Amino acid sequence: MAEKFDLVVVGAGPAGLTAALYAARARLRTIVLDEGLPGGQVKTTHKVSNYPGFPEDVKGSELALLFAKQAERFGARIARAIEITDMDLAAKDKRFVLDEEEEIVAPAVIVATGAKPRPLGIPGETEFRGRGLSYCATCDGAYFEGKNIHVVGGGNSAVEESLFLTQFAESVTIIHQFDQFQAEAGTAKEALENPKIKVLWSHEPRAFLGDASVERLRVENLKTHEMHELGTDGVFVFVGMVPRTELLKGVVPLDKWGCVETDESMATAVPGLYAAGDIRAKKFRQITTAVADGTIAALAVQKFLRESRS
Amino acid sequence: MSANIREIQTTDYDRDVLGANEPVVVDFFSTECPPCEALAPKYEAVAAQFEGRVQFLKVFRQGNRELAAKLGVTSSPTLIFFKGGKEVGNRLTGDIKRSDIKAAVEALLV
Repeated sequence: MAEKFDLVVVGAGPAGLTAALYAARARLRTIVLDEGLPGGQVKTTHKVSNYPGFPEDVKGSELALLFAKQAERFGARIARAIEITDMDLAAKDKRFVLDEEEEIVAPAVIVATGAKPRPLGIPGETEFRGRGLSYCATCDGAYFEGKNIHVVGGGNSAVEESLFLTQFAESVTIIHQFDQFQAEAGTAKEALENPKIKVLWSHEPRAFLGDASVERLRVENLKTHEMHELGTDGVFVFVGMVPRTELLKGVVPLDKWGCVETDESMATAVPGLYAAGDIRAKKFRQITTAVADGTIAALAVQKFLRESRS
Repeated sequence: MSANIREIQTTDYDRDVLGANEPVVVDFFSTECPPCEALAPKYEAVAAQFEGRVQFLKVFRQGNRELAAKLGVTSSPTLIFFKGGKEVGNRLTGDIKRSDIKAAVEALLV
């Protein structure tokens, strides 16, 4: 027998947990499904400085915990570390099978599966993942104590995570395609003044090379188009994110970047199916915009359920 | 940790991993590692499913740095699969799905 809910939220990041908070406070039977632990990208961000209400920096993992705690306080159930092994999102009663065992149904679903690190798409990337190549500084930084490492990227994540990595590494060389950072001015300045951080401007990686683990990085100078190889103990890649819309392929239309198109109330083309947070087609992706999406989606779901019951 | 998973140290590696009769899965984990925490319940669930046929071990990376370095492990979590004392198949790292672990373990038994 399938367990019945009013709302299934897929993804326990800021968007999903905020949607769950609002839905649970409105007395909707709400379950949040996540492949891992709650928090989404926030939980592996070492510090958050731009979330209102935290005048001092807050650790991403702490903020993630607080989001989850608040949603649970009002009765939302968070199913951690589960895998959706089958589902039907197009039907009126939307159905999920969890870990091939448990079945749940709900008339409304908010998909808030967020985004994952964008791979560089260059030779060696798949082979060396976890062998000197990482996309998570908080997870793997400590492996590089006293090492000379490289960071690829120049946006907020790349520069902030480089600063974090200086706690462990002997040196951090940032490889950036432009001749200035895209990161916020304050963060960029802090990085440029850090004695452990060097920057290789106007360069792009072309291949990861090595035997059992990454030993060298082939880079191209974008101005001269010369190639050369850099010795390295490890490489961290922060070159943006790609939406995690695997669940929605073939269910709702995606734009050319793979993002889900919704209306102003976060509704997709399928009745009862909503999308919120980084998977949505939109201009800006912040924790604050994700929680706003989650709020709107939950309020829209309440209205949808009221109308479909009457 | 469940009864189906045993934590080992560097000194146990030769005997428990390379010398094991059954296929072995080794999970390198760290503290302050959200994907490691997320993996733990999935690892336990799969370990319970294959009880008696495959050994599921855990190695705490911070306490066994040299072993991690020797095996070229630079990411937590990393799952490594062994059969007959040799590493086989692909390693799994990062956000690991339960179905990926299951598929890799099933491949050990073929």
